[in-house]
Amino acid sequence: MQRALRAGLRYHDFEVRAVGTGEEAVREAAAWRPDVILLDLGLPGMDGFATLRALRPATRAGVIVVSVMPGEKDKVRALDAGADDYVVKPFGTDELVARIRAVLRRQADVRAGEPVIRTGDLEIDLARRSVTTAGRAVKLTPTEYELLRYLALHAGKPVTHTTLLRQVWGEYAIGDKYNTRYVVAQIRKKLGDDPANPRYIVNEPGVGYRLQA
Amino acid sequence: MTRRLAPYAVGIAGALAVTAAIGLVSSRFQVPGLSAFYLLLVLWLGATWGRGPAVAGSVAAFLMYDFFFVPPVGTLTVRGPSELLELMVLLAVALVTGQLAGSLRRTQSAAEALAADERAMYELATAALRSPEVTVALSLLSERAMRLQGVSRFALVAMDFGHAMPLAGGELTADELRQATWSYDNKRPVGVAVSNGAVRLMKTRPEGAEAAYLPLASGVAVMKIEAGHPDPSDLRMLAALVGLADLLLDRRRAVLEADRARGFEASDRLKAAILSSLSHELKSPIASLRAGLTALLAPQAGLQPEQRDLLRDLDGQANRLDRLVGDMLALSRLEAGVELDREPHRFADLVGTALHQLRPSLNGRDVKLDIADDLPPVEVDELQVGRVLTNLLENADEWAPEGGRIEVGASANEGWLTAWVENDGPAIAPTELDRVFETFWTRRARGSGLGLAISKRVVEAHGGTIRAENRRRGPRFTFTLPLARIAAAR
Repeated sequence: MQRALRAGLRYHDFEVRAVGTGEEAVREAAAWRPDVILLDLGLPGMDGFATLRALRPATRAGVIVVSVMPGEKDKVRALDAGADDYVVKPFGTDELVARIRAVLRRQADVRAGEPVIRTGDLEIDLARRSVTTAGRAVKLTPTEYELLRYLALHAGKPVTHTTLLRQVWGEYAIGDKYNTRYVVAQIRKKLGDDPANPRYIVNEPGVGYRLQA
Repeated sequence: MTRRLAPYAVGIAGALAVTAAIGLVSSRFQVPGLSAFYLLLVLWLGATWGRGPAVAGSVAAFLMYDFFFVPPVGTLTVRGPSELLELMVLLAVALVTGQLAGSLRRTQSAAEALAADERAMYELATAALRSPEVTVALSLLSERAMRLQGVSRFALVAMDFGHAMPLAGGELTADELRQATWSYDNKRPVGVAVSNGAVRLMKTRPEGAEAAYLPLASGVAVMKIEAGHPDPSDLRMLAALVGLADLLLDRRRAVLEADRARGFEASDRLKAAILSSLSHELKSPIASLRAGLTALLAPQAGLQPEQRDLLRDLDGQANRLDRLVGDMLALSRLEAGVELDREPHRFADLVGTALHQLRPSLNGRDVKLDIADDLPPVEVDELQVGRVLTNLLENADEWAPEGGRIEVGASANEGWLTAWVENDGPAIAPTELDRVFETFWTRRARGSGLGLAISKRVVEAHGGTIRAENRRRGPRFTFTLPLARIAAAR
């Protein structure tokens, strides 16, 4: 698996280093300073989640969690522990490369610090708190705007229900995921977005939502 | 008989002794009012033996005093009121002290009996709590009950998950076990009852002939009580023992249930562990296969177009293998009794997500949605129901003809959502309509034969139903899902 991945990623012009354990990963991340780390949760030695927590202070690299476990609870746990994205084994190289590029792009965006976020024909002006689709202004309630803004700030990254609840409704929100589902449905309606063919907000079953980058 | 008369003899002997003492003293000295000594005697008799001996003593004392000391000495004549008064005083003292002492003694013996009962219960209870085996304590208890007067049998039967099981006090006949079970199932005592802290015999019961049954929380007490009611204190003790037996049987059942739950939990954990390790073992090689095959698809790998086509086919096969493994694991998880993560969801969103996921394979297929915007939310496991929808949609896509249309619809009615997925492909043979949900049933060469079986199990796990039918346009799969109990809109 490691050899196949290394070959596949090199064909796409990435420089790759592979290590076998969580401890090595933390050391290598600090020494070599990669842009993106693929972290298999089923690592020998240090537990995958422990590695993830140890990586966070050691590096600014984006972390994509790789898991063979189909459980969505693990995805949520990984995202809440600071992962940027996840892929479930088995996956094709194309899919993985797309995820890596998305993480890299997001890093570039964050560094640019632009006050206007664009995805397709959707524009969110953070300074003026205004939202337009194809130049047409969309009127959102404050809650809807906050939710969309948070998704936009993390465009391309899956955001968990819990994170959305905390970010939009506040630290002490009494968690009801149906709140987020209801608000997302309202936003989709106003943006003219079809969940079956989403242009903007994609549902991540069992996890949360992702704004397409 | 002699024991009952002894105090009277003592009373008369005492009177004689006091008379002799008075005679001795009065022959030497001239002391007035020596008859008061008799009072002391009567007091002592009353306090020690009660009214009867005291009265006997006082009558004897009066007669002796009259005979030996009251002139004319040697005759039993009562002369004048002063002597009569003396007799009356002696008798009154005898009666009053006797009465007082008697009631005192009765209170004391009752207190002693109560203390004995309490001690016995305490000893039993501590023995019961100390011994890890409840049956040992129950046997002790049964033995103690049979030492009570009039109790010739005291057996305890546990009712374990609907099963009568004699635990203490000997075996029961099949008929007795049936009676005990009936008494327990109907919560009806037979022959006895407990009221006001004592066991009471019922009047309708043929006395002493048959066993009586008293249903408890987790078992039945079977007892035989002899004709002629035993002592009330024994019946109270019996009630206390029955109460203790009730507690012990209850504790035994709690322990059994905890053990059973632990057993189930362990087997569930084992199943989950096997499934998860199986999933890992099967999926890891498939993952390597796909990573390797797709790596070579990159133009930089330098392969010829026809070689790349071959790799793409192989990757497709690896993908199918992955689906098959995934379906088999999903099915075995469902059969092991998967825990549903139920939350309110908009059905339209669930359909939208499924369609989004299937978009590449649906390949521009016309899908018509007939789902009202104001449909109340369903309370379901998002991922499991997502599986149902992707299975049914894929199935419809498989069978709809080129350029054909898939229709998805839903309506709500009385707590349930009814949804259907329909295509305009060929009808399912009427004999096959029920069989399509069987494991490994498939009409197509490419399917795993598990998709519909999984769908049926998921729907049924939610309490719903699923069926296949042929409509005019083509086959339709209809299923029901529970609506959310509270419409949780803002």
